[in-house]
Amino acid sequence: MNALNQLPLNIAAAIRSLFGDPHSIWADLTMDIISIILVIVLIVLAALILILLERKVAGWTSQRPGPNRLGPHGWFQTIADALKLMGKEDVTPAGADRLMFKIAPMIMFALPMMTLAVIPYGHGMAPIRLNLGIVYYLAISAVSTLALLMAGWSSNNKYSLLGGMRAVAQMISYEIPLVFSLLGVVMITQTFNLSQIVADQHTIPFIVLQPLAFVVYLIAGVAEVNRAPFDLVEADQEVVAGPFTEYTGLRWGLFFLGEYGNMTAVAALTTTMFLGGWQGPAILPGYVWFFLKVGIIIFFQMWVRWTFPRIRIDHLMGLAWKVLLPLSILNIFLTGVGIYIYQLIVPRIGG
Amino acid sequence: MFGKGLFTGLGITLKRMLGPNITEFYPEEMPNLPPRTRSSMGLDPEKCISCNMCANACPNKVITITSEKGESNKKVLKSYRMDVGRCLFCGLCTEACPTGALHVTQQFENAIYEADELKWDMIERAGKSRGRGEQA
Repeated sequence: MNALNQLPLNIAAAIRSLFGDPHSIWADLTMDIISIILVIVLIVLAALILILLERKVAGWTSQRPGPNRLGPHGWFQTIADALKLMGKEDVTPAGADRLMFKIAPMIMFALPMMTLAVIPYGHGMAPIRLNLGIVYYLAISAVSTLALLMAGWSSNNKYSLLGGMRAVAQMISYEIPLVFSLLGVVMITQTFNLSQIVADQHTIPFIVLQPLAFVVYLIAGVAEVNRAPFDLVEADQEVVAGPFTEYTGLRWGLFFLGEYGNMTAVAALTTTMFLGGWQGPAILPGYVWFFLKVGIIIFFQMWVRWTFPRIRIDHLMGLAWKVLLPLSILNIFLTGVGIYIYQLIVPRIGG
Repeated sequence: MFGKGLFTGLGITLKRMLGPNITEFYPEEMPNLPPRTRSSMGLDPEKCISCNMCANACPNKVITITSEKGESNKKVLKSYRMDVGRCLFCGLCTEACPTGALHVTQQFENAIYEADELKWDMIERAGKSRGRGEQA
C-alpha cells in the first residue's frame, strides 16, 4: 500500500532523474508543465463525469433512471454532448463587445485550473506549493465574478446584464462569510499553507473543531459557484440563462466546464480545510481518500440542488448578511476563546 | 426547530434516490397497461355469425360486413372491414356482439405511414395475430 501511496511521487522522481541535474530549471519547468496538464485533465474528467452524475442524481431524485441510452448506463452521454457542442456554430451577437465576449469564457475556465493547482492531492502532491495557498485560492476564485460580469455586459442583452449584476451582488456578498469561515482554521493552524493545514489534521479533522464554520462554508460555497438553490445568476425562468444566454457551442461549453471545475475546487478546498484532505486510514492511498471526500461533498451539493427551490433574491442577501456573516464572526470569536483556554490549560497540565 | 423543513426535504429526496424508479423502458419492455385499456379491436372470425349488430351499434359507421348464405341457409362471413380512422374505441360494438367474436385488445402500436393502412381487414388481422401466437 505504501508503494501505491508513493507512486505519483516516484513517477515524478523518475522523470526528474532523466535530466542531468534533477533540480535544474529545465527539470522544474518540465514538472510544472506536466502538473498543469494533469490539472487540466482533472477538470475535463471531472466535468465529463460530474455532468453525467448530475443528470443521474436529477433523475434518481424524481424516480427516473437518468441518461441511459448511450453506452453502459448512459456513461457516454456527456462525450456525445461535448462533441455536439464542438460542432455548433460560434455566434457572436450583433452589438456585442467582441473582445470581452470572447475572453469571458476563457477566464471562467482558467480560474478553476489555477485554484486546483494549489490543492494538495496527497502527501507532498500539491502541484504548486504556496505558503499563501488559501489567500491565493480566495483571490483567484473571486475573479469568477468578473468573468460573469464581463459575459453579461458584453452580450448586449438585458437578461445577460441582469444576470451579470446578480452575479456581482451575490458572489461579493457570499465571499465575506466564505473567507471568515476559513479564518477559524487559519487561527488554529497559524498558517496559510494548505499542505501544512492538511498535515495538522492528522489527529482530528477540523470539521470536529469547527462545525459551525464547516456549515457556513458549505452554504457560502454553494452560493459562490452559483448552483441551486442560489442559482439566481442563471435562473432560467427569470433571466433566461443570465450571462450565458448569448453563448453558443464551445464557448458555452467552456462556461459549463468552468462551473463544474469551480464546483470541484470548492469541494477540494472543503476537503482540505475541514475533512482532513488526504489523511485517512492506511487501507487506501492518500489521493484516493482525497477524491473520495471530494466526491462526497460534490454529491451533497447535487443532492441539495435537486431538493431545494431557488431562494428569493432579498432572502439571498438576508441570509448572507444577517445569518451567515454573524455566524462566521461568532465562530471566529469562539475559536479565539478556545485557543486562549487551550493555551492557558495545556502548559499547566503538561500537554 | 428553525430549518427543520430543509432536512425533511433532503430526507425525501434521498428516499426517492434510493427507492425504485417508476420509468417504463417502453420499446424494450412493454408497459403494464390497466386491465380495461381499449386500444385495438380483435375479431374471432369462427365465432362471428355476421349478424351485423356491431355495425348497427357503431356510432361512426366504422364497420362494414359482407356475408353470403351458406349450405344450411346460414350466413357466412365474407369480409369484415373497419375504418379505424373514424373509430373512437368506445367498445359499443363489442358490447353489441352476441357471440363475443369482437373484442377490444391492448395492442396499442397502431401508428402507420399511409392513410390507406387505416382500413383494417379484420379477418386478415385475426390470421396474422394468430400466426404471431397472440390472443386474437
